[in-house]
This record gives sequence, C-alpha cells and structure tokens, in this order.
Amino acid sequence: MRTYLARLAFYGLTLCAVALVAAGPGAAQSTGPLRIEIDQGVIEPLPYAVPDFIPDTAAAAEYASLIARVVAADLSGTGLFREVPASAHISKITGFDDPVKFADWKAVNAQALIAGAVSVNGRQLTVRFRAYDVFAENELGGGLQFSGTTDGWRRMAHKVADAVYSRITGEGGYFDSRVVFVSETGPKNERRKRLAIMDYDGANVQYLTNSDAIVLAPRFSPTGDRVLYTSYETGFPQIHVLDVGKVQRRILSTDDGIMSFAPRFSPDGRTVVYSQSQGGNTDLFTMDIASGQRARLTTAPSIETAPSFSPDGSQIVFESDRSGAPQLYVMPASGGAAKRISFGSGRYGTPVWSPRGDLIAFTKQNKGRFHIGVMRTDGSEERLLTASFLDEGPTWSPNGRVIMFTRETQGASGRALLYSVDISGRNLKPVRTPDGASDPAWSPLQN
Amino acid sequence: MLGWAALGGWFQPEPASFEVQEVSLISAEEFARLSQQRQAPELALDASVLAPPEESAAPEVSVPPVRRPAPEEAPERPAPPPEPTPDPVVEDVPEVEPDPIVPETPPEVEPPVETAVILPPQPEAPQLLPVDRVAPVPVAPPEPDVAVDDVAQPEVAPEEGAKAPQEVQEATAPEAATDRIVTEENQAEEQVVTAPSRSVRPQSRPQRQVAEAPEQPAPAPDAPVERSAVEDALAAALAGGADVEAPEPAGPPLTSGEKDALRVAVSQCWNVGSLSSDALRTTVVVGVSLAQDGKPDTGSIRMLSSTGGSAAAAKQAYEAARRAIIRCGSRGFQLPPDKYAHWRDIEMTFNPERMRIK
Repeated sequence: MRTYLARLAFYGLTLCAVALVAAGPGAAQSTGPLRIEIDQGVIEPLPYAVPDFIPDTAAAAEYASLIARVVAADLSGTGLFREVPASAHISKITGFDDPVKFADWKAVNAQALIAGAVSVNGRQLTVRFRAYDVFAENELGGGLQFSGTTDGWRRMAHKVADAVYSRITGEGGYFDSRVVFVSETGPKNERRKRLAIMDYDGANVQYLTNSDAIVLAPRFSPTGDRVLYTSYETGFPQIHVLDVGKVQRRILSTDDGIMSFAPRFSPDGRTVVYSQSQGGNTDLFTMDIASGQRARLTTAPSIETAPSFSPDGSQIVFESDRSGAPQLYVMPASGGAAKRISFGSGRYGTPVWSPRGDLIAFTKQNKGRFHIGVMRTDGSEERLLTASFLDEGPTWSPNGRVIMFTRETQGASGRALLYSVDISGRNLKPVRTPDGASDPAWSPLQN
Repeated sequence: MLGWAALGGWFQPEPASFEVQEVSLISAEEFARLSQQRQAPELALDASVLAPPEESAAPEVSVPPVRRPAPEEAPERPAPPPEPTPDPVVEDVPEVEPDPIVPETPPEVEPPVETAVILPPQPEAPQLLPVDRVAPVPVAPPEPDVAVDDVAQPEVAPEEGAKAPQEVQEATAPEAATDRIVTEENQAEEQVVTAPSRSVRPQSRPQRQVAEAPEQPAPAPDAPVERSAVEDALAAALAGGADVEAPEPAGPPLTSGEKDALRVAVSQCWNVGSLSSDALRTTVVVGVSLAQDGKPDTGSIRMLSSTGGSAAAAKQAYEAARRAIIRCGSRGFQLPPDKYAHWRDIEMTFNPERMRIK
C-alpha cells in the first residue's frame, strides 16, 4: 500500500511537471531539425533566358540582338545550359536597372536570367550585363561592363558569356578563345594544307600560311601570341614559330637533314619540347627559344614523340613504343626515368595534359576503331569519350572542360573535320569550319 | 435455464472453420479470351518442345511457315508476320518436320495483345535516346500532349453536368531521362542490352488523414505490461493529449518512407550538370524552414557548413542546392501535416560523391 501511494505521488508530480512544461511557449517541440542526405541528383542543361540586350542608342540596336544571340550560342553550345526561347518569355526587360519580375521568369522555368544593355558612341561599343538566379531572386555577382570597338562585338559577347558561365559553374569559361588548325582543301590524294586561325566557335577564320608546303601540328604559346608548327617547306619536317599578330614566321630548328617535329611550348613559353629523328631513332629534346640551347631527354632506341608538359612544367607525358606498341609514359621535364601510365589494350598516342592538371587526353586505337579518351595522370580511370573510323589529336579548352579533335570519315571522299566533346562524353558535335580541318590547337583565354 | 443463460456462453462451440480463397474479378471478355487460349492445343504442344527463348519474345525464334502460331510477342509491339527463316537462331529449336497432328489449316493466331495476359512482359529497352537529362531513375519520354513538369499528375477534366465548379488539371509528366551518361564509345554496346534495367516504381503512399491513428513506436523491451490509469494519463499528456493548445501538430517521427519521399523530391531538382569539378567535390549542408503547406521559406535557406572544396566551390554547390529546394518545393513538399513539428526545420546534406564525373 505504501508503495502504491509513493508511485501515485510520483506520477502526480510528474503530471504537474508535464503540464507546466506543455503550457510554456517552447512546449510544442524540441525534436530538432530533420536531417536528410541527398546523394543523387540529375545532370541536365540548366534553363536560362537571355532576352535581347537593351540598346541605349539607336546605333546600338544592331548589336543589342547580335550580342545576345552570341551569348546564347556560347552558353547553349556547352551542353550545360538550355535557352528558354524568346517566344516563351512572358516578361520583358525594359530597362537595364528596372527591377526584374522574377515570378514571370520562374513561370517559364528560367533558372538564370541575363539582362544587358549596349551603347555605341562612334566606333566605341560598350556592353553591360547582369546575371540573376531567378529562383533565389538575387543577382549572380555584380554587374559588369566591357568596352571596345564595334569590330570586336563578338569578343565582347564571348566575354559576357564567359563571365556568366563562370558565375554559374564556378569555373572559368572558354568562349573568348581561338583555335589554330590545319585547313584542308582538295581531294584526299592531293590535299592542300595551310594554317588557319579562328574563334573557338568557327567565326573569323584567317589563314596564316599558303598551301605551298605541308604543315602539321600547330601549337599555341601559353600567351596565345605565337604558334609552333611543323612544315615541310624545306623538303623535310622542320619546326617553325609564327607570330600570330604580325603573321611573321621563322624556322626554329636549323639542322639540315634532321627531322624535327611535334613541338610544344613549356608552360612558361621559354622552352620548346619536340621530337628529333636521326639515324632511324626518334627521341625527345628541349630547346631554349632565346638561346637555341638544346637538351636531350630520352636515349632509348625506340620512338619517343608527342611530348606535352604538365601545367606546372615539372613533368612531360609522351608516347613511346619501347614496350613494343605505342603507349603513354610520364617523366620529369628534365628527362630521366619514365613511368608507363597506359595499360589498356590497343595503341595509345598524342597525349595532352589538361590545363587543370588532373587529366591527360589521348588518342587510342583498338579493334579497328579510334577513340578520344581521358585518364588520370597516373593512368587510372581511363574513359573513352568517342568512337569512330578515325579520331585523333585532342586539344583542351582553356578551362579543361572540353576537348576538340580531328575526325576523319572513311573512303576516298572522306574528309577531316573538327569535333568537340565535353569531358563527360556528352555534347559531341562538329565545329564549324569553311573547309576540311585537322590538327586543332586551342589557345588560352584572350586578355 | 438460468444456469444455461449464465454459463452457456462458456460452452459455445468454436466457429466452424472454413477455407478462404482469394479471387479476382475479371470481365466476361477476359474470361472468354482466357478460355479461348486454353483451347489451342497446338500452342501448348509446340510450347513444350520449344526451348524457352533466352530473351522473352525474341523475334528471331524460328517459326515454320504457317504450321504453328506465331511466337509470343511483346505486348507493346505490333504483331509482325511470322517470317520464315531458314537458319534458326535458337539452337535448341529442333528441326520441325511436318507435324501429323497439326491441322491443314493453321490455327487462328491470337493477336499479341491478347496473349499478353499469360506472358511475362518483355523488358523494355533501356532509355538510350540521347536525352539531355541524366537522373537516378530513367524516365520514358512523356506523351506528346503531356506537359513536362517535375511532378507527374493526371489530367483532370470537369465532369459534364457537374453542378459544382471543378478544378481543371493539366496532365504533366517528368522529362525523359536516362540513368547514365551514354557516350559515343559506349552507345553501341548499350543498345544491345535487353535485360530489364528498371522496374515499375511503387506508387507514392497516399497522404494519411489526420484523424487516422498515428503509427505507434515500438514499445520498449522493458515496458511494463500492465498500465495503470495514472500511467495512461501520463502517456496522454506526454503525447500532447492534455488540454493544452499546441501551436502545431507533432505526431510521431517521420517514417523512413516519408523521409525517402522528401529525399527523392529534392533530388529531382538537384541539377549538378553545370557545376565545376571542384564544386562536385564539395558537400554542403543547407538549412531550411518549411511552412505547414510544405513550401520552403526561401529567406530561411542558408548554408550551414561545407566540406571538400574551396569557398567559391562551396558557393556554387550551395546555390545549386538552394535552387533544388526552391524549385521542387514551389508546390510544397508532400509531407504528413500531422508531423509538421518534425519537418518544420530541415538540414539537408547535399553530397555529390556519386554524381561526380569519374
């Protein structure tokens, strides 16, 4: 009985305590936040809207729409973004500084909005823009303005697109860049080749050499002002360097009777690494551009070629058949022991180190097919991105996100064209060129 | 009599046992169709000698011309005419001689749609179209007249003659998606895959009524079996049954299924396709408060912490997470209203480890 009374008293006190607590303001809950982990999402193009920019002056009307279209082409061309067409817009940007009606852009599922204005004063062109995160209803970074001449309106559009791309993705863009390549005309057995340069999207093509001699493998300097290439102008391959701005060129390797080819700049632009073939043996060398001083990097009796520096300049990846078939190797930039990094079936060649430093792109030939692939710098995580009759010669976009390469079609009427592909393997597409094209090399972003 | 009335209940016989058999209702047409199929002895006879095809309804299975019914076809495909093939693809199929029991006239071939009731459905080919969207679960392309939306909902048209005004609802379906990045290199090998790569997704659980008895947590192992009235009152008070006005319903904690539903809802809008490699290495924890209708308070969304990347990468990762919460929460997340206190404040960890490009 005493126990029962004690329990009754205990419960009574407890009930009172519970009632008091329940009556308090914080009585409702003390459960803490719900915690969930989301580890699966979707990969799809991000919808955005870029209405025609607002012309501040009548003379700017011509450029207002053109610039918006180039920005849209840049962004949509990445495969990471999808434009909401103007026909779907239910709101207009009437003033650059007017408040944005986010609800109208949400309604058409535009997740990003780019609003801009253009003014022209004589030959002076000024472009302003703002980017918005529609669903968060805030601006992505601050407004930005570019000025230049009206001739350079495309470059300003590319710069706007680069800024928007960077603000959304968090990595640098690649639209204000150029590509040097070998333009090819004529039938397969009588093909004429000349160096050409163009914007990354195929616009503004200019020819740098005539078609008197075969030219191969142009490579940009780290600042984009010079191009190395191999020419048969003297009857056998020799390395030339060309000033892009002045279109002036000179021979870099002057050894008569010695074939020099596959040149590439070091990241600081002072040294060139290349292959030299003498007495049936091909090895790698470096040359100091200012002094002409050379250094031999390899001495193996096998063929070593296609060298490419790591972005920090400390290592070189190259192709060698020392194991019996062409494979990829990495060695210190000063030469020394090389470590094989490719072990898959097939033949590997033309390795190129990513500007990010994390991947190496390569050409692979296996079972009668050619592939463009990427692997880690230690050879792991190999992924083949393409497959065709002939794919070769990858080159990286300045931000290391896209690879451009040559694709040649089969048969007597086959021709070479440039293609690009995202490093995920998505967004494989041809690059617009006026004629056949091969051996692309992507420049760094222009200043 | 009184004794029987008082004690008779103790001696009632147990109810007679009876067998229970589950039945399903079918229409008369379906019954006739099933009966008709059983009346095709040749089909059964041939089926016994035919080795089962390695892949259901493989159209390459050799069929003698007009001597037997057409091979079983997938329900989705139209019935192709049985093409005579001189070299059987399936080796197990014996060379068929003219069968004496087969009537001169070929039996009436059942349309494939009708035979579907006795056949396992042929696995649909995986989504191989070069669609732009990659999602955890592949999604077939929606019907042409169905609007693309994150949430699938049936079309609701007002009934003719209805007096009360009815809300019209447009049919929507999610955008077509594939569950993997298909590159040109692996596209060819992907296209020959016919094994089932997905199953029908279970329907989401219907929203529970508030009046329904909430799910009780499992009793503690050492809980006393006998409960006194005082204990009951104490339990009621602890469960909020006291005469105190709680500002919001608490209910039991969310079940795993309810948490999963929320997780799936957010993940459908978490688009990592435009994130940088650095941002794809960054895990962010985002806090958000929801209103009772399940809609997020956008002003409450904040990054609580980040790991694995730079500050700039964390910012991009957070912005993608924020877009996911706002977009997919714009109609309100489907959460049980009686458990609002448990989901009012949420911490979502967005971990892109599995979404990273390897």
